[in-house]
Amino acid sequence: MDKAYSRTRIVVLLGVILALIMADHLSSPTFAFNSGQGNVETALMQRDETACAPCGAPCPSTRD
Amino acid sequence: MTDSAVLQPDLQQSPWQVDRFIVSTALVGFALLGGLIWLETAPFMVALFAIGTVLGMALYHGAFGFTAGWRNLVVKKRGAGMRAQLLLFAVSSLVMVPMLHSGQEGLVGAVAPVGTSLMVGSFLFGIGMQLGGGCGSGTLFTVGAGNIRMVVTLVFFIAGAVLGSIHLPWWLDQPGFDPVPLVNSFGITGAILVQFVGLGLIAWWVNRIERKAHGSIERDELLWKSQGHGLLRTLFSGRWPFTWAILILAAGNALTLAIGGAPWSITFAFNVWGAKALEVVGVNMAQFEFWTWDYPAMALKDSVLTNIPSVMNFGLLLGAMLAAGLANRFNEASRNRPEGRQFLAAVVGGLLLGYGARLGFGCNIGALFSGIASASLHAWIWFACAFAGSLIGIRLRPWFRLPN
Repeated sequence: MDKAYSRTRIVVLLGVILALIMADHLSSPTFAFNSGQGNVETALMQRDETACAPCGAPCPSTRD
Repeated sequence: MTDSAVLQPDLQQSPWQVDRFIVSTALVGFALLGGLIWLETAPFMVALFAIGTVLGMALYHGAFGFTAGWRNLVVKKRGAGMRAQLLLFAVSSLVMVPMLHSGQEGLVGAVAPVGTSLMVGSFLFGIGMQLGGGCGSGTLFTVGAGNIRMVVTLVFFIAGAVLGSIHLPWWLDQPGFDPVPLVNSFGITGAILVQFVGLGLIAWWVNRIERKAHGSIERDELLWKSQGHGLLRTLFSGRWPFTWAILILAAGNALTLAIGGAPWSITFAFNVWGAKALEVVGVNMAQFEFWTWDYPAMALKDSVLTNIPSVMNFGLLLGAMLAAGLANRFNEASRNRPEGRQFLAAVVGGLLLGYGARLGFGCNIGALFSGIASASLHAWIWFACAFAGSLIGIRLRPWFRLPN
């Protein structure tokens, strides 16, 4: 049975996604921290204590 | 969880062929991204990435569809899919409610405000589910499995989510009240029992509809053995009995809570991806209130590899790709090119899904599944409103040339 996709397109698409992830990461505080830059706050262990939902949305009553 | 998910053909008679290219590509992707996460973040993020991958496989192989399950009840008066979801919620509730209240520090449940934002958001999301062809996880795993129409849904899902994030503060100013954890009123055991009663009542209603229409009910959701192949082949190439998917999804959500500190969620990552894309083209997202709140602001500023929903979504995409390769069905759903109106449904559905998910504090996973597993009242209201929206969506589907 013929394949329903193009191999090249898939490799290119996944390559583009990986490149975007890399570009985002290379410009991030976490990468800066890993590169030895001090005083950088990263999101890795962040907890938002004012948040209601895991997405960080605050409760109406806690919004100023 | 989607339409196409439940359309896996009966593989009973066919010899098992693996799509080696897709399987290899998915495994290489898993190794590359997993290695990067390992090097740059922390081991617990790799664990969450792996959990996301397994969940992606479970969603694909289990064909565990919220969207189709709800539609099957409404259109065909068949309730197995719906009962499977109720079982999933019950099992997760039994495990995760005590976990959340065990006194262990750093665990946060999926509890959200109750009010206009939640009701409007979940209602819109319900419409979007039926037009877009899936919910948050469904959109992702079908994209991972190569479904072109669902790529359109995902793009507009992301767009709608960003728009929703811009509008969310206004919606939160409308009438509403703070989260209501059922544990505060009923205690841990009481909250679980109250939820079981609620789930039981829904199951009774579902059974009544099915019995009335067909005289009896099918118990597909209780099957433990595949009706087609042996254990090993079923494990790798699907289709999994519902019970397997239920157990894997429940265990995955509990592990996500234990490792990541919060239950499984999907759609916040779409917000982050969309907002990052807008910043690349010069939009200053900090001008919008949502993106000044601590958690979203940090998520936007930092790498997606430090954002748990993003990392798990990447795993989910690769897991679905791997599963589709093992089933030799990658991109099968796109073999017949959709019509223009079907693409339009993906656009409209995607926007409603994204906007609704942001206003409703998540999708079927983050708001409904994880919400009930956290014994939060908002999940029940989300369920009712999304189901009502879904009824509208089902009625709109024929106009978009989507089969019911």
